[in-house]
Amino acid sequence: MSPQHGSQPIQHQFNPYSDNGGTLLGIAGEDFAILASDTRQSVDYSINTRLSHKIKVISPPVTKEMKLESTDIVGTKNSVLFGTNGFSADGDALTKAFEENWKWYVHDQNSNVETGFEFLNENNEEKESFMSMQSAARNVQHLLYGKRFFPYYVHTILAGLDEEGKGCVYSFDPVGSYEREQCRVGGAGASLIMPFLDNQVNFKNQYIPGTNSTERRKIEYLSLDECLKLVKDAFTSVTERHITVGDGLEIFIIDKNGVRSEYHALKKD
Amino acid sequence: MFLTRSEYDRGVSTFSPEGRLFQVEYSSEAIKLGSTAIGIATSEGIVLGVEKRITSTLLVPESIEKIMEIDSHIGCAMSGLTADARSMVEHARVSAVSHNLYFDEPMAIESLTQSVCDLALRFGEGASGEEERLMSRPFGVALLIGGFDKLKGYQLYHAEPSGTFYQFKAKAIGSGSEGAQSELQNIYRNDLTLIEAEKIVLKILKQVMEEKLDSTNAQLCTITKESGYKVFNEEETKKIVDIIYEEDEEEKKRQEQEEQDEEDEDEDEDEDEDMN
Amino acid sequence: MSQQDPSTINGGIVVAMTGKDCVAIACDLRLGSQSLGVANNFEKIHQYGKVFIGFTGLATDALTLSADLKYKHNLYKLKENRGIQPEVFANLISSTLYEKRFGPYFSTPVVAGLSEKTGEPYVAGFDCIGCIDAARDFIVAGTASDQLFGMCEALYEPNLESEDLFETISQALLNAADRDAISGWGAAVYMITKDKVTKTYLKTRQD
Repeated sequence: MSPQHGSQPIQHQFNPYSDNGGTLLGIAGEDFAILASDTRQSVDYSINTRLSHKIKVISPPVTKEMKLESTDIVGTKNSVLFGTNGFSADGDALTKAFEENWKWYVHDQNSNVETGFEFLNENNEEKESFMSMQSAARNVQHLLYGKRFFPYYVHTILAGLDEEGKGCVYSFDPVGSYEREQCRVGGAGASLIMPFLDNQVNFKNQYIPGTNSTERRKIEYLSLDECLKLVKDAFTSVTERHITVGDGLEIFIIDKNGVRSEYHALKKD
Repeated sequence: MFLTRSEYDRGVSTFSPEGRLFQVEYSSEAIKLGSTAIGIATSEGIVLGVEKRITSTLLVPESIEKIMEIDSHIGCAMSGLTADARSMVEHARVSAVSHNLYFDEPMAIESLTQSVCDLALRFGEGASGEEERLMSRPFGVALLIGGFDKLKGYQLYHAEPSGTFYQFKAKAIGSGSEGAQSELQNIYRNDLTLIEAEKIVLKILKQVMEEKLDSTNAQLCTITKESGYKVFNEEETKKIVDIIYEEDEEEKKRQEQEEQDEEDEDEDEDEDEDMN
Repeated sequence: MSQQDPSTINGGIVVAMTGKDCVAIACDLRLGSQSLGVANNFEKIHQYGKVFIGFTGLATDALTLSADLKYKHNLYKLKENRGIQPEVFANLISSTLYEKRFGPYFSTPVVAGLSEKTGEPYVAGFDCIGCIDAARDFIVAGTASDQLFGMCEALYEPNLESEDLFETISQALLNAADRDAISGWGAAVYMITKDKVTKTYLKTRQD
């Protein structure tokens, strides 16, 4: 405390970051993956918008044939579901940066589009140029670590199908440390939902009755419906207890047919 | 005033009035002086083979390196000014390793070839100072780049000093390339096995080389999906070389026998005639 | 060492839930000094007649507070010649905490019990200066309170039978503790019904 008011200059500082709240959640199933987030964007106690999008579907072109099969398809099975949570401006910037890398990658792979001599390329039926989830994850790591000393203030989660068609979720810390997981929550509600997912997806602390807690309940893949139920439960729960989570729930589902999205209302209080 | 053709030889980035870049064309000539290199793509893998010119009995053959590993799934064979190839291979290796670092996957063969060819164009007048232009002249070497990737399977590319590249099922470059290429065209089938291809490469080299083929003056490598890039050591090369010579021997004997038979037949006929 | 939050030095959690004619309260058993584990038998729930109270926060304050409440509970029994009701105890805690309004105990107690007259389950929580939170469903406290909120909000449903309530509170406690580095190291669950109280120790991971 200065002895005399005004005797010292007051120093102001610009803070380049803010916290926009919200929660992001990814679950990988056997042959599908889900990425979901709430649609509220807030700063301190104010709500900026009740319909913001934290997830971007980065997809090769959706063909007319795919649209014919199912009208609500918003991406192919080779899409990357890219979600960021935290400081939304950084999240948007990161999403854009990745999208650009993704496009360049696809162009480079596809220059001279022929798929090579068929007899020299036996098992490959893939004719569409895309980036594998594994490659996408590594690329995101470098995007994040590239700003090691002025980081993107975000928790990033990627969801998609791996090269075997299995669901996968990759999660990142703000500076690029990453891991492939069965499920992950990021953002404001992470501490509330994560133990719930441990319990309900990975069956943590669940034992087979009558074994005196010696035999764990075996891990098995959940069905899509079960996963969607968990996602909705998780978000209604966290909406109840966390002020920056609410308004709407946007869910993206990726499987062999492509990407679909769902919207559900959450409490607006 | 029209300048004579030779005037356009000087500037590496000056077109001639006919629209030609002579230095680039001449660089291709440098390859025609080089030792022969052959590549074959089969459904089981890629085979690359080169001839080594042992110019002196005192030369250590192992010190001639004309087949090089770019990454565990890509190899290349060269012909021309091999010193130039070193900087290309260096560049290719950096590209492959960075791609692996940034994307956690092996680099695609075509992308790798493209990146080498990007380098091939970085010559020109302003060679000093500028970032883009590194060299004062075009490369004097051509590469056969072969490998496997999950996108397009087995691929063999021919990268020219001009910076263009083409994909081949089988390709020969260097001094013996004309004869070798027509031989490849005759012999190539889509269902060649890797073993067959190895033999074909050495056989053709044997035909076009000035020296007599042995296990030290030729080198082979294969790239397969399963075990990646593998160079043949002298022993392994010798096995195939021996088989080739054995087969030649047998062929010679067979031919001699045939000739003998024909002669005998002729004599028989003569006898028949006599009898009549 | 720089100034730090006293309520997260020792670690630990307490959770209480209401069921159908029953109430449950559970705690972990860890006592730590920041990242160092000190004891794995530090029970945070104390019994006062038929009322159960769990204390989280700074261990020394929790102990002091529990002793002070024991003293006050004994006096109450002598003066009133009857057991104390959970609602009454909650008010006693509240006023005790508020006495230290400007130099508070760094502890947040949780009360659980059955109201003797009505048989209704009662749970209540407090902040460290005595504000009562008499919830109808559940109360959470401690260093993994966020995790507990998430677990309880998702798992809890009203009017559970005591067996189901036991499973619910146990899973809530265990999974919350597993996502908190300074909670865990064992757990104890009290199930309180009209005619019996059972105490169960849970097997937990020991990291």
